[in-house]
Amino acid sequence: MTAADITRPVGTTLMDGEQQMRPTDGSERREERRLGLLLTLPAQILVLFISVFPLLMQLYISLTDWSPLDGKGWWMAYESWNTFANYTDLMSDSRFFSALGRTALVMAVCVPVEFLLGLGLALLFMQDFPGKRVFYSVLLMPMMVVPAVAGYMFFMLFQSGGPVNMLISALTGQPVTLAWLSSPGTALAAVMIADIWQWTPLMFLILLAGLVGVPEDQLRAATLLGASWWQRFTSIMLPKMKTIILIALAIRIIENFKIFDTLFIMTGGGPGVATESISVYIYKVTQQDLIWGYVAAIALVILIVLSIVVSLAIARMNKARAEA
Amino acid sequence: MNRSLAFECFRYVAIGLALAITLVPILWMASMAFKPIAEWSATGDQLTWWPRQPTLDNFRFIFGQSSNDLIVALDRTALKPILSSLLSAVFGTVIAMVFGTSAAYGLSRFGSGNNLPLALIQLRLFPPMAVMIPVMIMWAFFGMVDSWWGLALIYGIVTLPFAFWLMKTFFDDMPREIEDAARVEGCSRWRVFTRITLPMMRAPLASSALFVFILNWSDYLIGLLLTTREWVTIPVYMASLSSSMTGQLYGAKAALGLIAAVPPVIMGIAIQRHLVRGLTFGALKQ
Repeated sequence: MTAADITRPVGTTLMDGEQQMRPTDGSERREERRLGLLLTLPAQILVLFISVFPLLMQLYISLTDWSPLDGKGWWMAYESWNTFANYTDLMSDSRFFSALGRTALVMAVCVPVEFLLGLGLALLFMQDFPGKRVFYSVLLMPMMVVPAVAGYMFFMLFQSGGPVNMLISALTGQPVTLAWLSSPGTALAAVMIADIWQWTPLMFLILLAGLVGVPEDQLRAATLLGASWWQRFTSIMLPKMKTIILIALAIRIIENFKIFDTLFIMTGGGPGVATESISVYIYKVTQQDLIWGYVAAIALVILIVLSIVVSLAIARMNKARAEA
Repeated sequence: MNRSLAFECFRYVAIGLALAITLVPILWMASMAFKPIAEWSATGDQLTWWPRQPTLDNFRFIFGQSSNDLIVALDRTALKPILSSLLSAVFGTVIAMVFGTSAAYGLSRFGSGNNLPLALIQLRLFPPMAVMIPVMIMWAFFGMVDSWWGLALIYGIVTLPFAFWLMKTFFDDMPREIEDAARVEGCSRWRVFTRITLPMMRAPLASSALFVFILNWSDYLIGLLLTTREWVTIPVYMASLSSSMTGQLYGAKAALGLIAAVPPVIMGIAIQRHLVRGLTFGALKQ
C-alpha cells in the first residue's frame, strides 16, 4: 500500500484491481434493495397484522349485534346483521358522550397544569446549582412508576383515614374525614391529581431538554442590552422552544386521551359513572355488557374522529413549517 | 447580589416542595409494605408515617406464607404473576427490538419501508382500548389468550414504534465511514450489519431495550384484557388482592407494588440520557 492510499478518504475511490473484484453498481443496488426489503419485511407484516386486518374485522362486526356469548365465530356475525343500528344507537348514548366530555375535561385540566409546572421546574433547572443531578433524577421518578401501581399509591393516599386527609386536618386544625374516592367531584379531582403527579416529570424532562438547547450567547447578549428576564423569556426562549413545546403538548394530549390505568385502579370509573373516561367506558361495555358489535362501532368512531383530528393537525403543522 | 440570593432561596424552596410531593406517595407505599396489619388502616392521630414495628410479613404473605394476623390464605401466590410479567415483558422487548432494529437499519441505510415511520406513529396514537376487540378475537382464535407468549407478541407489536424510532435515530447519527471501510474490504452488506454495526451499537441497543422493557412492564390494560387466570400479570393480580375478611390487603398490595415499581425506576434512571429521545420518537435529543 502506498502513502497515497492511506491519505485517501476511506470509501471514496478504489483501485482498478479492486474495482473488478467488487460487484458492479447495478448488482450492488440490487443487493441493497433486497436486504432493505428483507430487513423491513417483518415490521411491515406486524403492522399489517395489527392494523389492516383488525380494522376490517372491526368494521364488519360493528355492523352486527355479535357477542362472544353467541357461541358463533365472529365470521358468522352476519346472522345478527343490523346495518347501522349500532351507530345510530351511539348517537343517543348519553353515557358515551358524558365519558367523552369527562375525558376532555381531564385533558383540559391536566395537560395545562402539567405543562406549567413542568416549565416552571425546567426554568429552575437551567443553571447549575449544588444537588442538581440528584434532584433531577428524583423528580423524574414518578413517570417511571408503573401506572397501575401509581394508581394504587393514590388509592391509599385518598382513603378517608389516609395521609391526605391527615395533612388537610393538620393544616386547617379540624379533623377532615373526606371520602375522596366515593363522591363524584372529589373522585375526579383525585384522579386528576394522580395524573398530574405522574406526568408533570415528562413535561419537565422534555421542556428542560428544550431550554438547554436555547443558544446561551443570545440570552447573554439580551441581558447585556438590558432585557428583563420576562423579555428574554418571551422573545428568545419561547420562540426557540416552539417546536419542542408543541411536541410535549401533543404527546401528553395523545396519552391523556387514553387515560385508563391509574383511574381504573383508583375508582373503577365510579362512583357510579362519575369518573368514567372513554377507555374505561369501552372497557366496561367490553367486559360487562359483552356486546362486542357495539364496542366495535364505538371504537371505529373514535378511530375515525382521531384520524381526522390528527391529519388536520399535521396539515396545519406542515403549513406552518412551510410559511416559516 | 441580594436578588440572586433571594432567587437561590426560592429555587431551593420550590424544588424542595416538588421533591416532597414527588416522594410522599412513593414513601407512603414503601412504608405501608413494611407495616403489620394493625398499622395498615389506623386513622387520625394514630396514622403511622413510619412503621412502628417493621415487618416482612407482607412480603412473606404474598409469596404464600400464611401469617398469624391475617387469617386469610391466598389461593395463588405472587410468584406466577411476577414470572408472567417478566416473561411477557422480556420476550415482548425481544420481538420489538429484533424487528424494530432491523427495520430501522433498512430504512436508515437503504431507504426501504418509507411508510413505516408514519404507520408506526399512528399505531401509537390510538387508544389501545379502541383496537382491542379484534385483537381479543384474533388472540382467542390462535389460542393465545391467557398465555405469556400471547402477551409477549402484543407487547412486541405495541412497543415496536419505540424500538424502531429509537434505533432509527441512533443509526442516523452513526458515522458511515466505518461501514464504508468494511465494504471496501469486501464485506457483504449483511455482514457489515451483523458484524460491524450491531456490535458498535451495543450501548444504544441496550438503552433502547431497557426503554422498551419499561413500557412493557408498565402495561395494565392489555394484561387485564388478554389474561384471565393462569398468566395474569402483576397489576392484574394486585387488583385481585383483597378479601372478604380484611377488605383491601393494603400491606400485601403495597409490598407487591414496591416489587413492581423498583426495577423500572432503576432502569429509567440508568437510561436517563436517552429518555427524551425515546419519549419524543427521536424528535428531540439530549
